[in-house]
Order: sequence, then C-alpha cells, then structure tokens
Amino acid sequence: MEEKFSFPSKLRISAIVLVIIGLAAFIWGFISNPDQAWGNLLLNNFFFVSIAVGASFFMSLQYIAQAGWSAGFKRVSEAVVSYLPVGGILFLVLIFGLGHIYHWAHEGAAVHDELLSHKSVFLNIPFFSVRILLYFTLWIFMAIYLRKLSLKEDLEGGLTWFEKSEFYSKVNIFVIAVTFTFASIDWLMSIHPHWYSTIFSFKAFASAFYHGSSFVILIILLLNRAGYFSFLNKSHLHDFSRYIFMLSIIYGYLWFMQFTIIWYGNIPEETIYYALRWTTPWKTLFFVDIILNFAVPFLVLMPRTPSRNKTVVLIVALFVLAGYWVELYTQIFPAINPENNFGLIEIGAFAGFLGLFILAVATTLSKASLIPKNHPYLDECLHHHF
Amino acid sequence: MYKTEVRGLLVEGGKTLGDVTRDIMRPLETRSPNWWRVVFGFASLMSIWGLYSIYITITQGIGTWGVNNTVGWGWAIINFVWWIGIGHAGTAFSIFLLVLRQKWRTSINRAAEAMTVVAVMCAALFPALHMGRIWNFYFIIPYPNTRGPLWVNFNSPLFWDFLAISAYLLISASFWYLGMIPDFASIRDKTTSKVKKAVYGFFSMGWLGSTKEWIRFEALAFILGGIAAVLVVSVHSIVSTDFAVGVEPGWHTTIFPPYFVVGAIFSGFAMVMTLMIIIRKFYNFENYVTDSHLGAIARILVFVSLIMGTAYLTEIFVAWYSGNKYEIFTFFHNRITGEFTPQFWAMFISNALVPQLLWIKKLRNNTTVLFIISIIINIGMWFERFNIVVTSLSKDFLPANWATYHPSWIEVGIYVGTLGFFTLGVLLFFRYIPMMAMSEVKGVMKFNKTKAK
Repeated sequence: MEEKFSFPSKLRISAIVLVIIGLAAFIWGFISNPDQAWGNLLLNNFFFVSIAVGASFFMSLQYIAQAGWSAGFKRVSEAVVSYLPVGGILFLVLIFGLGHIYHWAHEGAAVHDELLSHKSVFLNIPFFSVRILLYFTLWIFMAIYLRKLSLKEDLEGGLTWFEKSEFYSKVNIFVIAVTFTFASIDWLMSIHPHWYSTIFSFKAFASAFYHGSSFVILIILLLNRAGYFSFLNKSHLHDFSRYIFMLSIIYGYLWFMQFTIIWYGNIPEETIYYALRWTTPWKTLFFVDIILNFAVPFLVLMPRTPSRNKTVVLIVALFVLAGYWVELYTQIFPAINPENNFGLIEIGAFAGFLGLFILAVATTLSKASLIPKNHPYLDECLHHHF
Repeated sequence: MYKTEVRGLLVEGGKTLGDVTRDIMRPLETRSPNWWRVVFGFASLMSIWGLYSIYITITQGIGTWGVNNTVGWGWAIINFVWWIGIGHAGTAFSIFLLVLRQKWRTSINRAAEAMTVVAVMCAALFPALHMGRIWNFYFIIPYPNTRGPLWVNFNSPLFWDFLAISAYLLISASFWYLGMIPDFASIRDKTTSKVKKAVYGFFSMGWLGSTKEWIRFEALAFILGGIAAVLVVSVHSIVSTDFAVGVEPGWHTTIFPPYFVVGAIFSGFAMVMTLMIIIRKFYNFENYVTDSHLGAIARILVFVSLIMGTAYLTEIFVAWYSGNKYEIFTFFHNRITGEFTPQFWAMFISNALVPQLLWIKKLRNNTTVLFIISIIINIGMWFERFNIVVTSLSKDFLPANWATYHPSWIEVGIYVGTLGFFTLGVLLFFRYIPMMAMSEVKGVMKFNKTKAK
C-alpha cells in the first residue's frame, strides 16, 4: 500500500501568509507592549513544542504497548514531532527576553529575597539556557533516530528495524519523562518563582500527551477529509475518541487533585496561585479551561454514536486544542499581564506559530510514504475491527 | 490479523480446546498436593497468631500497639496502604489490559482478580481495628439516625476512604465473579460429583453458553470494566488524600494521588508476578503462563519503576526547590540522611534501581531472577509506606514533640496474620476455582492458528 502526501500550494501560501501575520503582530507587540509580546512567544512556542513532545510520546507508546491498530497512522506523529527544531530555535530566542517573563531573571531580584537566592543555583540565566539546549538536543536526537529507523523499515522491511524502534521507544519515553518534567518547571512553574507544586510537571506532561494526541488525531481526520487514509474506519475512529476521552479524564483528575490538595491545605504560599486566578479578569477563563479540556470531551465522547462520527471527533479535538491555549494562557499571563488585555497580538502570534507548524508538518509528511510500508502491524491496522 | 511470527504464541504446546479445560480443571479434581497442605498448615498458624493479636487489640485497645501521641499511625496504616496497593493490581491488570486489548492477559487475570479481592479484605481490616472501638463501626455509615442526629464528617478523607474502599471491593468482587460464571458452568457440566454439581451449578446461575448470553456477558464485562477502571484510580487517590490534604511536611504534596496510584499498580503487578511464577511452577502451567507472559509483566514493572523513580526525584527536587525549611528537613535530614536512612534507601533501591535490571533480556527470561525481584519490590513498597507514614509524623514542626516509633509484637502479629489470611485465601482459590479463565483462554486460541500471509 503506497500513498504519498503532496503539499498543496494553496496550503503552503496560506501558511506563509499566517507566518507573515505573526511576524507583523510580534513586531507591533515588541514596540507597543514588549512584556505581552514575549509572553506570547513563550505561550505559542510552548503550545507547539509540547504538542510535538506529546506526539513523540504517543508514537513511542504505540510501540511499547504493541498497539497494532494505529500502525498505519504513525507518519502523522512523526511529522508533528518534526516541529521540534523550529521550536528549539525559538526557545533560544526567548533567552533574550527572560526578564520580561520571569521575575527571577531580573538583575538583583535575588538580593533581598531569601527564597530566590536559595533557588538561584537552579534559576539563573546561564543554567536555564544550558537546560534549554540540553532538552532540545535530546528530543531532536531521539526524534531523528526514530524517524530514521522508521524510514529504513520502509526500504528494507523485516523485523530488525521494528525491534530497534521498540527498544528506542522505551529510551525515548524515559528521556521525555525526565526532561519534560524539568522543562515544565523551568518554563511554566518558575513564572511564579515562589510557588511550587509537585504535581505540576506531571500535569503538564499529561496535558502535553493529551493535546499532542488530539492534534495528531485532528491532522489524521483533516487528511482523511482531503482524501487520504481511505482505510480509516469506525473502529479506528472509536479508538481515537477513546484516546481523547481517556486523556480528558486524566486531565480532569490531575486538575482537580492539584486544586483540592492546595485548597484543603490552605497554606498561603500555595493558595496564591489559585487566588490570583480566582479573581475577576481570570475567573471565567479559569473555568473555561476545565470545561473545554474535561467536560466537553467527557460528555460528548461518552456515548458510542458520536465517538464514531468523524465530524464530531474533529470538532471535539478543536475544542480540546482551544482548551489547551486557554490553559496555557491562564498559567502564563496572570503574572505577566494581570489586566488580561487579550487582543490582536494574541491572535496574530498564534496565527504565526500555526503557520510555522503547518509548514514543518506538511513538509515532513510529503517526504515519505504516508503509510509505513513494512510495518509488521500494518495488516492489523488495515483490517482493524472490533 | 494476529501474526504469530510477530506477536508470538499466546498458548504454547499445541493445546486443543479440550486440553485447556482438562489442564486447568486438573487441580480441582485431584487430591491437593503435599506442598499445598504444608503451606496451608503454616498459613493457619500465622492466622492464629493474627487472630490472637486482633483479640488482644479489641479487648485491650490500641494501647497494646507501639504508636504514641506523635506517631499516631504506625504499622496498621502502613499495612493498610500496602495491602490496598496489592489489591489494586488485579483489577488494574484485568481492566487496563482489557481496554488496551492485550490478549496475553487472559491466562493471568483470574488469579490477579482473586488476589485483589483477598488483599482488599486484608486491607479493610486495618482501619477497622484502628478505630479502637470496633463495635461502633456502624458510626461511619451515613444514615439518618437517632444519635443526635450525628452525621459523619463529610469533610474527612477518612470517610471518603471508607466509601472508596467499599465501592472498590464491591465492583472488584462482582467483576471477578462475573468472569467465573462460564467456568463454573464448565465444571458443573464436567464433574461427576453430585455435591460439586449442585454447588458449581448454583454459582453458574444457569449458564448455558448461548450466543445471547455471551453478548450480554461481554457487554456487562465492559460496563463493569469501565466503572472499575475509574475506581482503580479513585480508590488510591482517596487513600493518598488521607495524607496529602493535611499540612504535615512530606505529606502535603500535590503529586501524592497519581504517585499512590502508580505505586499501587507497581506493588500489585509485582505480587501478580510472584503469584504467577508460583502457579506456573507448582501446577505445571508453563504452556499457559509462558516466558513471554512473564516478560510482559517484567516490562510493565520496568516502566512503572521508572515512573516511581521520576516521582521520587520530583518530590526531592521540589522539596529543595520550594525553599520550605520543614520540607527540606523532612526529605534531606530525616529520610535521605538521619534517623530513617535505612528505610528510605531500602525503598529507593528496591523500587527505583533494582527493577532496572529487567532492561536486560537475559534476566527477564530467568524465572528465579524475576521471582527474587518481585519479592524485593514488594518489600520496597512496604518501606515506601513506612517512609511516608512514620518519618513525617515523627519529626514535624515542633522539636519538643518529636518522637520515634517501634512496633509492638501485637502489631507485628496482626500483619503476620493478614499474610496468613492472604495465603489461605489464595490457596483456597487454587483448590476450588479454576486458576485461569478457561473461556477467555479458549477465546485467544484461535490466534495460534493464524498463519502469516
């Protein structure tokens, strides 16, 4: 079975237009309100980087769980992962604006602050930058290697490459778990440098997995609309919905547990995080987050019929991804932009990143057969039925 | 499209459907082996010690234990969490692997579920005894009453615990029983003894194996499975809130709920491994519980062990990162170094480091090594609970209140007793219930025949 994706020129042009819009928004942002512009750079880059990491995890998980049904779609995950180098470069750009986002990066912030001087061993600009480099080197290295194994399998077949992929998927999961734990502490939790929560990185990881998988599913459904993946049937669709459904429960669970334990303990150093989000300009968004990420997919995808309907799953995936943006916005912006003046910068910045993401993903997709040819589970996937 | 050359055989030895029934029912029909009788006798002795200790606890009170004002929770709560963790595995095993369509689960799930039911009953004993006046147990059930009306404290995690555990026990037992109905029917139809026919006939609820019955059976299994999957997670999350909603350093940490759930699955799977190796060895079930089955459990153990390791490191790192001096003291001066060093390192080495040996394929294929590692994990998980329960309580905010803790023989006796009860329960299961779900094993036999295209 051979199927090749060709990057339509219309899509390419729209993506480039989106990038230009994004550039314009950032230029305007850096002039009018630099804090907000830097914040948007962090938000959108984290959005897509974590989705790429989540997709990498999703892909590896299929290997270690020996899941056959999803084998035919793995090129999509590989393509989403290919955003990582772009994200890495943009994270390096962020180093120049750390002071606009992170209080601990201000010169002299630690002098009269006992806690910050305690943390300054870890939270300082050089070490922070080294960590960014380290995370991306590891992620990109693993991604390239797994991709190479997958392409070799296309050419040569046999079980050798498959078994290697399975082994390196384990390594990949280990690498991602450890590095992403620290990455989320670095990039998100340290925005409130005095605040801490042990579940935070776990939740960020689950959220990346959740939204990474949702994005992969979204792309598969969009490609299917465009005429690819003709073998996609209701059973595949149902399994995809189950992924979203299951992860929405996990998300809701972690959200609720972090909230309950902090609320019940009622220690001011901890409750400050929620107190900030519980007041006027943020309260609505705080609930929109949990509604979009938990209530909508949970209620819509629980019955059988809607979870086997392409349009419904597509729309739910869009809702969930919108929820991710809201989640990150309520995590990042209360510290940077307490007034919550959402505006054109946010829209433009997201458009720009979306354009970059489309360019990266579609280019990678068009480079190899859309269906991994010699994957040993491919037959299971093509005849998936339950 | 199950390809045996990729996925391997699920049942080895060229068995037919008839062989499956004969092999799995053999232990029920023959005289119980000598080792079974010896272990039964030994477990009975342990249980007698346990019953004696329980008797002393009930008649004389908690004063017979080693707990004191500062360390109010000792072995009882450690053992409670430990047993509940083991009791997790069965349902986690069946449900998650059912949902994930892991076909190899079929020869293991029955034993895992049986283990769950027995372990949860052992676990429930501890909070009940810890109440002191066990005859007032019904106070914990919320209903309109003539005691004032005196309601339970709905804000208390201990009350949530009661609800979570009872619900979990109910669903686990139902799920286990449901799976046994077709097998009981097989025994009823095959046996020549009239007593057995009557007993198994009663429990098989008139099962005939018609298509309609199978459709309903599978639908019900999935629904119960769906409910149980949520309960598996909720029950241990609730247990973790017993600790985490307080402000005790080392307890008040938001990672506790998922960390407890993962820990429970870890210890439970280790116990499943121990049990399956015993079953396979003593009942010659090597064709059903193959090396690849054990290898799969081993791989899950490595994976979960990595999550445990990451969770330990996260906790330690965030304790430092928080800059909170009580947290730093608890982790760095009371666990990693200090009075409870042996317990901390016992936990860390046996849960996070030793299982990493299973990355090596040679060791994964060695049953003795697997058996030893599974025992080490179970011991390590006990020490984890010791770490959580005792270290935080013994030294918290006020140094004037610091105290240490040693268990009394009564506490030890209750623990040994539950080990005895557990062993007895498992032995009875070996003797009177088919150890593997025959109907489900038969269901995956068809994959043995599929030849590659």
